[in-house]
Amino acid sequence: MWTISKLTFKEIISKRIFLITIIMTLVFLTLYGTAIYFAGREGAEVEDAVQGTELILMQQFVSSQLLGVGLYFSSFITALLAIMSSVSAISGEVSSHQIDTWLMRPISRSQFVLGKFFGLALLMIAYAVALFFSIIFLHQGIGVEWMSLDIEPIQMIKAVSVFAIQPFVLIAFGILLSTRMTTLNAGIVAIILYGAAFIGGFIEQFGAVVEKASLVNIGIIMSLVFPIDSMYRKMTVLLFDSANDPLSLAQGGMFTSVSTPGNIMVWYAVLYGIVAVLFSIYSFKKRDV
Amino acid sequence: MGVIETNSLTKTYDGKGGISDVTLSIEEGIVYGFLGPNGSGKSTFVRTLLGLLVPTSGEGFILGEPIGTTKSREQVGYLPELFRYPNWMTGKQLLESHADLCKIPARQQNKRIQEVVDLVGMTGREKGKISGFSKGMSQRIGIACAILNDPKVIFLDEPTSALDPIGRKDVRDLMAYLRDQGKTVFLNSHLLHEVESLCNYVSIVHQGEMIAQGPWRELMMTEARVEIVTAGSIAAPFPAFVTSYQKGKEQEGRMRWVLELENETDIPKILHYLSSKQIDVFEVKPNTPHLEDVFLHWVNQKKESAYVDNQ
Repeated sequence: MWTISKLTFKEIISKRIFLITIIMTLVFLTLYGTAIYFAGREGAEVEDAVQGTELILMQQFVSSQLLGVGLYFSSFITALLAIMSSVSAISGEVSSHQIDTWLMRPISRSQFVLGKFFGLALLMIAYAVALFFSIIFLHQGIGVEWMSLDIEPIQMIKAVSVFAIQPFVLIAFGILLSTRMTTLNAGIVAIILYGAAFIGGFIEQFGAVVEKASLVNIGIIMSLVFPIDSMYRKMTVLLFDSANDPLSLAQGGMFTSVSTPGNIMVWYAVLYGIVAVLFSIYSFKKRDV
Repeated sequence: MGVIETNSLTKTYDGKGGISDVTLSIEEGIVYGFLGPNGSGKSTFVRTLLGLLVPTSGEGFILGEPIGTTKSREQVGYLPELFRYPNWMTGKQLLESHADLCKIPARQQNKRIQEVVDLVGMTGREKGKISGFSKGMSQRIGIACAILNDPKVIFLDEPTSALDPIGRKDVRDLMAYLRDQGKTVFLNSHLLHEVESLCNYVSIVHQGEMIAQGPWRELMMTEARVEIVTAGSIAAPFPAFVTSYQKGKEQEGRMRWVLELENETDIPKILHYLSSKQIDVFEVKPNTPHLEDVFLHWVNQKKESAYVDNQ
């Protein structure tokens, strides 16, 4: 199993698309860092015009929104990479017949699926964690004091743990699709579901703001179908919430959370990923390659 | 029990295509030819034996282990017909990965890799990227993969399809070497003249059905065949022991014939007959049947019986 994981890991790293991804990620981080730097400098200048609670609220709102934007985009590119790498994990090897020489070795189909899953999941989780901390450090470090939020290390650890569930679920789901569909079909299904999950998430947040239970329920149902957006929302709550500083609560808006997913949703997402992997093994066990 | 055993093994796709009802038993230490035209189900059969396809019915065993189990593949090597290897790897990395999957101890891997690389004539080129390999080189590295774990049973599916004449000879020599080492080579091929010298035992498959199996020289229904060159045409009918004949082209007053006889002992009789008819004979050459003749005989017979059934 670990040989397959190692091969999967090496394959992704050896591809040109990986290098392009790394370069584009650095470009994104540079742009984000630049934006945060200037936003922090501009914000500090506003201090002369606005005072007191209004200033604190504005600082908290702007700062959390900008961090939310960075993390939202990080979540988006991590998700796309997770989908693109997983939907071809098995179907691509089946259609090219490269799988024949691997599977004729004394390894079981379940070892092959698990090997693929762990190889991809470890890589994408490492990427997601690196991106998460890069955004946090850029925001807290470059944005000077004005931009900095009161985030404890434990909050960061909790938040990044939930952030990493997203690639975990997406890869498990992508591999499940890959055991039964062509790469193109699997990609289309995964991207549509991902899009639907995010739209569901926005509807839920909007529903919470206008206090419409039906809209919130739509979002919850979508989260149950595909628990991706709910993990992003939960991550923002864990990151911005602080019992010591009520003003550092998420300030609302597109990139933070008003309707808060519970802890049970986190366990549901983890279970969702595990079940997807188990179904992948079951699905792949009895199929012709 | 044979090294490879199948009992009514069938693999069809929604009841169509594939290969049906194959029962065979293959002994250790031979090169076994699994012969058939393109699309006859040869590769389907091998892929079913290797657990890549799930059998529709029947059963099969490799070295006594039921097909589809990991144990049945422990001492097996395979070169697929559509040999595609990850092009981001070097040849050596490919072999190292297979060595890991075969659980070859790390200390022995380099030595074994070098041995197989030398055997397939890739010495010095194994460090190149597979993306830069020609088809022939890919096939050679594929053969190296197939024999890497020193398997007892080796499945080679059209192993010379991408090779030049020198490469084909190398592979024939390699198969003979493996046979001499006591390995069993299961050879899928439609290049009959190539396997003739290596295989004693064959199966002939046609349209997903096994139509003949056994030592191929015994599968030829005609006992003896002789090629003669006579002066002019022979007007009178041949005697009864000539079961059939083919008339060649007349050249410079000489006619070439291929006669099929009931028995090898009939060869002198035909000479006596021609002599009694005062026909000059310029050449007499016993014509040993080739595997291709055996193959065509059985395939044509199958086609004829299918035609009669349809009528």
